[in-house]
Amino acid sequence: MNAETTSVVLRFGLAVVIIGLGTFVYWLINQRLLMRARSSVFTLFNELPNKPVLVYFTTPDCAPCKAVQRPAIDRISSLLGETLEVIEINAYEQPELAKTWGVMSVPTTFVIDERGEARYVNNGVARAEKLLEQIQTL
Amino acid sequence: MTQTLQKVDHSALKTNQLFIISLNVLAFIFNLPILAALVALVMGIGSALKIPGFGFVYKYLLKPRGWIKPDVLNDNPEPHRFAQFLGFLFMTAGSIALFFGASALGWGLIWLVVALAALNAFGGFCVGCAVYYWLSRFNLPGFSKQPPAGTFPGMKPRMGASQ
Repeated sequence: MNAETTSVVLRFGLAVVIIGLGTFVYWLINQRLLMRARSSVFTLFNELPNKPVLVYFTTPDCAPCKAVQRPAIDRISSLLGETLEVIEINAYEQPELAKTWGVMSVPTTFVIDERGEARYVNNGVARAEKLLEQIQTL
Repeated sequence: MTQTLQKVDHSALKTNQLFIISLNVLAFIFNLPILAALVALVMGIGSALKIPGFGFVYKYLLKPRGWIKPDVLNDNPEPHRFAQFLGFLFMTAGSIALFFGASALGWGLIWLVVALAALNAFGGFCVGCAVYYWLSRFNLPGFSKQPPAGTFPGMKPRMGASQ
């Protein structure tokens, strides 16, 4: 391996480490968001529905919500039927709820297991396959 | 205080940020200060024309083909322009440092731009916009806009922000 190739490989490794650190920080922020959601679950229902819940924060003028997120949720709803509960929250109408859950942008989706524990958070659009995978791992 | 917001397509801003991130990372890996300088130049041209520097890729390629959907929000475009201009200054300083052999300083500045662009693209928080809104509190000339109602300064507008 010549010096130039070694340099590129080293720089690539360094870039991977820097990006990895950034991703780790992002993961930490998401964990904090999940902890916040865990303590906010009972702001949505008095008693647990005993099935997975998908909490979907949206607004009427959110274009990616209409174009991608809503169809994705419709798809998994029809696929899972009664075994999944979807709670859609209009963040314009319920800004306090969005604030309590730490929602910074829309769409944001939370996947909650049957014990009422928030397990996944998706900031931005989450495709049907991803949501389905998250629900299946509960 | 009421203010008139404008339609801002955040998909164009995001495309710009993703190009800045990708090209700078490539410039670092292949040790190409000229590529970093090119990114700085595009950002500078974008700042002068008051558009996202790499927004043309979105406008002429990604949007017409439907690869990226528009995400139009009621927002202030000025803070985003200011953020790009700040990025341009950091990129220019970084590129100059690289051409004078100050690699650590140069790449450090460029990675800083990458980190801030990533925070904006993936976290929805625009540090340059937050600086703009912070400066506007001191009534500095040219910094007249306030964050959209209900939006934390620098965050992407969301609930209650578009009215």
